[in-house]
Formats: sequence, C-alpha cells, structure tokens
Amino acid sequence: MLRKLRQISADAVTNLIRSGWGGLASIATIGVSFLIIGIFLILALQFNALVAEWREQFQLSVFLEDKITPTQLEILEKRIQNEAAIKSVTFITKEQALAGFRRELKGQESLLEGLGDNPLPASLQLKIREGHQSPAALERLSAFLSRHEGVEDIQYGQEWIERMSNAARITKLLGIMIGSVLTLGSALIISNTIRLAVYARAAEIEIMRLIGATKAYIRAPFLVEGMIQGSLGALLALSLLFGTYRLVAPTLMLASPLLSTRTGQGILEPSMVAALVGGGAMIGALGSSLALRRFLKI
Amino acid sequence: MIQMYHVYKTYGKDLEALVAVNLHIQRGECVFLAGPSGAGKSTILRLIFRDELPTSGQILVNGRNVVRMKPRAVPHLRRTLGVVFQDFKLLRDRTVEGNLALVARIVGMPTLEGRQRVAQVLKLVGLSHKAKIVPYKLSGGEQQRVAIARALMNDPVVLLADEPTGNLDAELAVDVIRLLLDINARGTTVVVATHDLKLAEEAGRRTVFLKKGRIVEEWP
Repeated sequence: MLRKLRQISADAVTNLIRSGWGGLASIATIGVSFLIIGIFLILALQFNALVAEWREQFQLSVFLEDKITPTQLEILEKRIQNEAAIKSVTFITKEQALAGFRRELKGQESLLEGLGDNPLPASLQLKIREGHQSPAALERLSAFLSRHEGVEDIQYGQEWIERMSNAARITKLLGIMIGSVLTLGSALIISNTIRLAVYARAAEIEIMRLIGATKAYIRAPFLVEGMIQGSLGALLALSLLFGTYRLVAPTLMLASPLLSTRTGQGILEPSMVAALVGGGAMIGALGSSLALRRFLKI
Repeated sequence: MIQMYHVYKTYGKDLEALVAVNLHIQRGECVFLAGPSGAGKSTILRLIFRDELPTSGQILVNGRNVVRMKPRAVPHLRRTLGVVFQDFKLLRDRTVEGNLALVARIVGMPTLEGRQRVAQVLKLVGLSHKAKIVPYKLSGGEQQRVAIARALMNDPVVLLADEPTGNLDAELAVDVIRLLLDINARGTTVVVATHDLKLAEEAGRRTVFLKKGRIVEEWP
C-alpha cells in the first residue's frame, strides 16, 4: 500500500516535471486565482472584525442640559439602568468633557483659551448590547430618552456601522462570485495540462491498459499530479499574500488606526490556510478528473 | 483453454471481420492462425484478451466468459495472458529492463521478485546483455524478442503473438518461431497469428486457415 502510494506520487512528480512550462503556467494561474480569492477573504475578515469591534464599543451619548437637577438626573439614570438594551452607563461631567476635548486637541489647546465658560454639556455615555443596535431599536430608545426632563440631545453613529456591515456583506458576496468563476477557470486550466500529460504518455497508457493495469492504477498519478498543481498554486498565493502583508501591514496600521488590530498578526487563521490549500488540491483533482474522463478511454 | 462459439464480429454496418467462428484451443497447445491480412487473425486475438467484444457469440478463456465479463474484471483477465503486439509497443523512454519492470509493477510483484523475473525472461530470450539498452537501439529481431520477454513477465497461461515475424527477415523469423515453440514446450498455451503460410507449415503445429473472417481449413 505504502509502496503503491510512493510509486503514484513519484509518477505524479515525474509527470509534473515533464509538463514543464505548461505545469508551471497552471500552477501560476491557480496562484493568481487564489491570490484574488485570498484578498477578498482578508478584506471580508477585516471588515467583519472592524464591525464587531465597533459594535462592541458603540456608544450612545445623552447630552444633558446645564440646568438639570440632581433629582432629574437620578430619575434618568434609574430609567436607563432598567433598560434591557443597555450594557453600561458612564456619567461624564462638564469638566471631564472639557478635559477630554483638550486631549483631543493636543497641541492646539490655545484654541480653547478664549472660551471663558465651559461650553460643553455633561453627558451620559451608554454602551448598547449588540442585539439592540438596529436602527429601529436605537430610534425607539432615543425617542424614549429624549422625553425626559433635562435631556438636551441624543447622538449616535449608527449609520456608520450599518454601512460597514453592508460593505462587509458585499465584499463577501463579490468574493464568492469572483472566486467561483476563478475556481472554475483554474479547474479547466489544470484539466488542459493534465490532458497534455495524458497525450504525452499515450503509448505508456495503452501498454499499461493491455498488460492489465486497472483504471485506478492508470489514473491515480494524473489525479495526484492535478492535486499537487492545485495545492502548489494555493501555497504560492498564500506566500504572496503573507509576504505582501508583512511588507505593507506596518505602514497600513500607522496610516489608518481604523484597521482592526484583532486579526492583526495572523491575517488568515491556520484553519483557513488549510482550507485554501485543501481547496487547491480539490480543484486540481476536479480538473484532472475532467481531463481523464474526456481523454482517457480505457 | 480457449473456446469460441459461433463468434461474429462486424465493424460498422457491413464490414464482416469474423463470421461464425468456432475455435477450440486446448491447454498446452500451440496453434497458428494463418491467412492473408484482413482475414480476421488479429481480431481473434483481440477478442481473446478482450480488447474488443464480439458482435455475437460467446468466448471462454481459461474457463471464464470474457463476453459477459464486467469491465472491472478485464484487467485481471489480461494479467493472466501475455500478448506480443505486431508493432511491439515498447516504450522508447526507458531501457529494456524498464519496459519489463512495468509489467512487474502492474501485476504487483514485489520489487526483488520483479527484478529476478526480468533477469529470467531476458535469459530465456537470450538478451541478458541488452538489459540496460533502450529498445530503439536494438535490431528488429531483438526488439521482437524483448516484446516476447515482456509478454512472459507475468508467467501467462496463454501467450498471444500477432505477426511476431512480420518485421523480420526469414532467418530471424525462424529463430523467433523456435523461441515461441520453446515457450510452448514449457507448458504455456501459444497462439500465433501470421500471414506467412510457409512459416506456419514449417512449424508443423496445428494451423487454422482464415479467409475473409471465416475458418476455411484446418491442418492437420
């Protein structure tokens, strides 16, 4: 059994080497396809991570009137704490708000000097549970809160989150569509390479057939050859992806703090790497069997 | 060993390659199929190792009906037979040894046994000294003997030879026939297709004469 496997793999590698530029071309084509699939995968993952992070940090700000009384504030806080949608509440005084603003303006604090009185309102920062972040739910919540005495205004950046998750969804969909077209193309190109390999070995196949080799025995090396081509292509794409990421990521991280840090170091999880390589092998097997079915009559 | 019952083979609509052929070959026999080209000799051989199926009729080889045999079983049938092809069908990209080793691999012989068998059959056909040479550097007679050696690799119960002397001059042809008779003397059933009536006659074995797909005469 082991000897057979070794024999089959050796045959496959010999074939692959003999296929020369044709073999390289099909590996490169699969590489390019997988590179594109990989880019979409990474984009979708980054978007998702970003959205998840934003959702978690998502805050709704309830700005308070300056003349709010302690009783009004107490009532408001109690109401808020009874809301199921709310994960936590933080009270920000006028002074804290100003200090925060000052930090944000770092280096240009002088702008604040002519202000005299602190113009910033006190506020309650509400963290919202993820299940309650839909636009409708937020609308309802903010309407409810704004009816209270002492509430001046309510702000939240929900639109952004919705846009981001839409973008993530579209990226995924586009990735799947482009990916499947490219996958099919790769399979056809592998099929073509294998077809040439079958032609090149027509004499040997004929003799093997007449001597009493089984179908599987004749086909196995070609199937393995296709699988090797497919997985090599996927590996090529992955090394390009990782290489590029290594080069580009540091500058990217600096340029845009928006980029999620969560999937920072790995970009693709080991399971995804395995899935891509396995996918390459499967496409290779598919391409081979297409060629074998059409060109190898036994 | 081989029984053909009322076998017809028609190509296309009306090209009759074989008509009502009844042929029985005993175990250990040596039989010559003689006749002009197109008489159906090769067709009979191809039917025996099931490269083709008859249009009608039944064929038994070594007790098994090859007509009703499942495709899956065909490789196993072929492993019990040895076939010497008219055009030798030797692979150009490997040595004589490599050509023979292919059979050992396909029938699943262990490596060592395969090597021993290669040496054995090469000795039998008198080509031990040419083991490392690629076939196309050999003479026609030598290539023919390599082809015979390959057919013997799996120690077949039946050896089928299609025009084994077709490409050889008279002297070499006699040598090859002698080799085949020698193999037959060791117990292998041998079937030889040839258009050379004189050669068949000289061999002095049972000869079946074919013409236009029909058996027209048998000798003795």
